[in-house]
Amino acid sequence: MALSNRQARWLLLGPAGLWYAMLLVLPLAVVLVYSFGERGAAGGYQPAFTLAQYANLATRWTAFKNTLMLAPLGTVAALLIAYPLAYFLAVRVNPRWRTLLLVLVIVPFWTSILIRSYAWIFLLGGRGIPALLADLGLGDWRLINTPFAVLVGIVYGYMPLMFFPIYVSLEKLDRKLLEAASDLGSPPWRSFVQVTLPLSLPGVATGSMLVFILLMGEYLIPQMLGGGKVFFVGNALVDLFLQSRNWAFGSAMSVTLVAVMLVVVTLYMRFLKRIGAAREDVGLM
Amino acid sequence: MRIYALAVYAFLYLPIGIIALFSFSAGRSASQMQGFSTGWYAKALGNPFVVDALKTSASVALTSALLSCLFGTMAALALTGLKGRVRTIFDAMIYIAVMIPGIVIGIATLIALVTVFDAVNPWVQAATGWRLSLGFGSLVGAHVLFTMSLVIILVRARIEGMDRALIEASSDLGAGPVATFRQVTLPLLAPAVFAGFLLSFTFSFDDFIIAFFVAGPETTLPIYIFSSIRRGVTPEINAIGTMVIAVSLILLIVAEFTLRRGKPAA
Amino acid sequence: MKKTDFMRELRRYHKGSVSRRHFLGVTGLGAATAVMAGSLPMRAFAQGIGDRVSMATWPNYDDPDNLAAFQDKTGAAVQVNVFGSNEEMFAKLQAGGAGWDVVVATNYTISTYVGAKMIEPLDLSKLPNYDAAAFEARFAGPGTVDGKLYAIPKLWGTTGMAFDSTRAAQPLDSWKGFFDITRTEFSGRTIIHDYQLTAIGNALKYFGYSFNSVDPKELAEAEKLLIEVKPHLFAITSDYQPAMRNGDAWLTMCWTGDGKQLNRDMPEIHYALGKEGGEIWSDFYCIPTSAPNREGAYALLNFLLDPQVNAREALFHGYPVPDSRVEALMSDEMRNDPILHPAADLLSALEFGAAVTLTDPNRAEIMARFKAA
Repeated sequence: MALSNRQARWLLLGPAGLWYAMLLVLPLAVVLVYSFGERGAAGGYQPAFTLAQYANLATRWTAFKNTLMLAPLGTVAALLIAYPLAYFLAVRVNPRWRTLLLVLVIVPFWTSILIRSYAWIFLLGGRGIPALLADLGLGDWRLINTPFAVLVGIVYGYMPLMFFPIYVSLEKLDRKLLEAASDLGSPPWRSFVQVTLPLSLPGVATGSMLVFILLMGEYLIPQMLGGGKVFFVGNALVDLFLQSRNWAFGSAMSVTLVAVMLVVVTLYMRFLKRIGAAREDVGLM
Repeated sequence: MRIYALAVYAFLYLPIGIIALFSFSAGRSASQMQGFSTGWYAKALGNPFVVDALKTSASVALTSALLSCLFGTMAALALTGLKGRVRTIFDAMIYIAVMIPGIVIGIATLIALVTVFDAVNPWVQAATGWRLSLGFGSLVGAHVLFTMSLVIILVRARIEGMDRALIEASSDLGAGPVATFRQVTLPLLAPAVFAGFLLSFTFSFDDFIIAFFVAGPETTLPIYIFSSIRRGVTPEINAIGTMVIAVSLILLIVAEFTLRRGKPAA
Repeated sequence: MKKTDFMRELRRYHKGSVSRRHFLGVTGLGAATAVMAGSLPMRAFAQGIGDRVSMATWPNYDDPDNLAAFQDKTGAAVQVNVFGSNEEMFAKLQAGGAGWDVVVATNYTISTYVGAKMIEPLDLSKLPNYDAAAFEARFAGPGTVDGKLYAIPKLWGTTGMAFDSTRAAQPLDSWKGFFDITRTEFSGRTIIHDYQLTAIGNALKYFGYSFNSVDPKELAEAEKLLIEVKPHLFAITSDYQPAMRNGDAWLTMCWTGDGKQLNRDMPEIHYALGKEGGEIWSDFYCIPTSAPNREGAYALLNFLLDPQVNAREALFHGYPVPDSRVEALMSDEMRNDPILHPAADLLSALEFGAAVTLTDPNRAEIMARFKAA
């Protein structure tokens, strides 16, 4: 059996193509169609052609605002915590310990994010850290069910996704460059700013984008650590499908969320290209 | 610097420590230490729902990872060197599949499948006696959409970084395209495919939000845990979490140990 | 294979005269099940009542010891799935086969479930422990639709408020007091249910409107109140016991049994009804039409309806059971408990939830807006 190159190519692409057609294009098309419909009498969906769902989006502004504020904030916080650690492990630490320390960064993430967030409910709740602070005479703190608690959960949950791309880019760094800089009398902070930082930017870019994308659709962390008070678009969506059973409005909100993300991510990638941090794999994504 | 790193590790392990600590509580509360007991471990292991959920999660994750690697690698190979409209369409699909939030995938898959099933079920039922419904199939379907795209990206990056000269050399030496593929291309791709497999498995095993919508009557481990948390957590959940970590750690140490022994002493 | 042959084989299999392997082989289902394993309700084919029964219910509702006893007796483990609102339960069942064998639903949802053919009439021959005469009509009534019995009451209760009496200058006794103190002394310490019926219903009571109102003007006022208090809330959740127990929250909307459980363990937490009124309700066991293990569902129901077992349930969940055989087993203390059996004048002000609130688009949307505010 001799296949032409062309036929072989189609055969190879077939399953993936089918998958995209049935489970990406079709569902998104259905969501788009539903977003112009109405809620059925007992919930669900009823065909119609109206823009009412999109007009109603304004009532969920807070959810969009929370998401658009806490997602970038969480990304930056995760970056600020992950970067020095990645730098330490890639450049400073004794190579004998490196593997062990790397593994120790991943291990906590082998247990479900649900269980880890539950532990944070205890830690941030009245009997956890606030009780400790009160005992130390540092005042009465309320942490659980605040944006701060959600931020802690976000940083905790997503730090490794930020950490690894940065670590990989720092690890590739040629140490001779740093030595050369130091031989030429450049102080450490200057060689960091002029050599290390620019070289690690692609890792920073990849990690930030990964974390940001995931945060935009986040549901669990605000649900568990926000107590229904720090609401993300994801929470509003779950509510619409699993409580008010308003599929039409939920669809309109999904479409909007995807549109917002496309815009933000496209802008971000343009910005990366301009500062020259885009790497091939970032471009591919 | 060192102190900073220590603080970060403390931050990472504080919740894990809490989980492990309370897993040994004798009381029913997962946030209070009442005596010491290993009873919750026995209870978790003897609970058919935990075992079932674990099996479901593992088989969904394994199926998703295998299909992703197979179809993803095939697609990545076909896309290499391809230009034109097909390439543009596939690039767009991959881009969208990776970027779209999981929650939207879950919702879109749910309403599309429910709509399609409602439409075709009368015929399907008349013909076969069965009805299509959400479950294992929809779980794997929705997971593979994302994980297959990951594999395509990883494998394609590898292909692009591959040394073309090797393949040319192989064919100059008289190897046919199939032999070249088996003996040269595949081994070169293996690390990327393997990484893709691990990523896919982990993603699928840990996914809550997509499964929350499309699992139908199936209960995966994250869904089971979510439901338990609502019910008022007992240390049983802590025991499960601690066991997962312990098992992973042991596997890792064993792997490390075997690798070391495999190497000649330096 | 013809359909009639298939049915004959199925019956033979059910009766146990052929083995599962024979059945699957003859019907050609072997290959199909091997392919689709997991996506089909395989459990229904297990012998007897199978090894598991799945139940959709509420937090702190079922005595784990009773469920363990059921497992010891029958070999079937009971999986408990817990929900925060009837709306959520309904949505999951509506979105197609949730895999539950027993659902515990509240009075006002039964007629909608029946109308949507989501629950089935009960076969009383499989429930020898059920005695219609023992049930109080007021609470059992909604279980019968069009003359057919669809649901049997598990327990009844009220929706009031639980508060830490050491924190409040004077005891709370009204919904006016509830929402007012939330905006002042208790700011940041109050929990409201993640449940449209009670969250909106009790806000309506603040203004003296009906708990079940679907009047747009009245609902608008309730929404305004809810959104106004939102910054002062500790949380919006139906699982409020943990926060009340560890002192994070001082006041919460509360169901009888939770109030009883809290008060039993921490006497400083008091339970009170709003004097303006509020909700009285009963929750029912039903069997969904999509139940994968119908026999298991009946076995579990029958087990739980045994007065001795049911009495142990009552001691655990702390709600009154509208079954006179169970009440007879309760101590005088339980029977006269002011939390379980509030004074007649307080009870008479309460309303049963109305079916319309489950499907009213306005109430659903207001609840969603309140949460997203």
